[in-house]
Amino acid sequence: MKAILISLGVVGGVIVGLVPAVHRSRPRWWMALCIGGMGLTIALGLLPPLSGTFRDAVITWRQVNPELYVPVAGTLDWDAAVASGDTLVVPMTDRAIPPTTAMVVIPPGFSVPKDASVVILAVQRWKNDQQFVVRGIVAADPILALPFIPGLEERARNLFFHVPLSWVAVVAYAYALWYAVLFLRRRRFIDDIHSVSAVSIGTLFALLATATGSIWAKFNWGSFWNWDPRETSIFLLLLIYAAYFALRQSIEEPQRRAQIAAIYAIVAFVTVPFLVFVMPRLMEGLHPGSASDQTAGPILSTQPGVLHPLKQIVFALSMFSFSLLFFWLLSLRVRSGILALQHKIQQVQEMSETR
Amino acid sequence: MEAFLVRYSIYVVFLIVLVIWIGIAGWLWRLERRLVKLEQWARQHGGNRP
Repeated sequence: MKAILISLGVVGGVIVGLVPAVHRSRPRWWMALCIGGMGLTIALGLLPPLSGTFRDAVITWRQVNPELYVPVAGTLDWDAAVASGDTLVVPMTDRAIPPTTAMVVIPPGFSVPKDASVVILAVQRWKNDQQFVVRGIVAADPILALPFIPGLEERARNLFFHVPLSWVAVVAYAYALWYAVLFLRRRRFIDDIHSVSAVSIGTLFALLATATGSIWAKFNWGSFWNWDPRETSIFLLLLIYAAYFALRQSIEEPQRRAQIAAIYAIVAFVTVPFLVFVMPRLMEGLHPGSASDQTAGPILSTQPGVLHPLKQIVFALSMFSFSLLFFWLLSLRVRSGILALQHKIQQVQEMSETR
Repeated sequence: MEAFLVRYSIYVVFLIVLVIWIGIAGWLWRLERRLVKLEQWARQHGGNRP
């Protein structure tokens, strides 16, 4: 199911992105699809509350940070509630498989809705692993909820933005390679415009992926940059494609510039699969899916339960929407490049006619 | 205060990201319309295909 959903997001994004062709204007339905898809990705990625279990609360207390509050989803048994002064002690059964029942202490000032069948309470382990104190009310009868992952907490939502940004950069570099090959075969400047536009926007997406990853790393690993194999590989990739722009700037003659840039785009892409998909998985590192990780990471792992079904849907939607965003930006860049080229050709023709 | 942060911090992040996206989407929409007009103008004035 996960493979189908993610493949739909990835392949669907590229197919819808290429229809209509990149050098044509975007129809209204297409723009609405991109804007709506991104809006939905942002809403589904950021709005649903996190819901964990008592086990998560104990793991967080023992291994992560005893000060953290863990959102636990469950059903309160109000009939068995015991009042101790202003404090209420209520048995709560979480939604783990198999479920765990523990006592939650509700201090005065918290009005937990009694008619809700499922509540998410922010709790902290109290005297032992069977007693938890309520620190906040997160949601009552939530329509959607994302899983709580001890050690990642809210930061897990970065998956919906960071990974699609990196993926789109790879698509962009592959697109640039394809048009570089076409340029060398057909010698048409329009192919060079496609190639350079894809590299520009791909590099923008690679930079955004690096920025989102770096901010995430600051809060998860303690510093913005750790020279993890994947961080090193994206750094090398950015250097390789920065050199592409330097190369273009250094050649004045347009035909020669396009030809050498096309050759460079082909050679540069040879490093992409190795730097993005191979090297970070062969070496030990901090990133999910590295050699030191037990799984292939949340996206590629075939183990059941690694990626929650709602996360699979949001991730697939995110891949689709970010792909459309890339093709929209690419279309704008390519079409403005074509207009600029047409203008130049016209100028040259007018000059030759006046002579 | 901590309970308030637990409850609402992600909604603040959501609002910031949503406002940024609405800004980008509006800018892209306007850019698209402008480019369409420019392409029409270029076609009317005999733009050459490269």
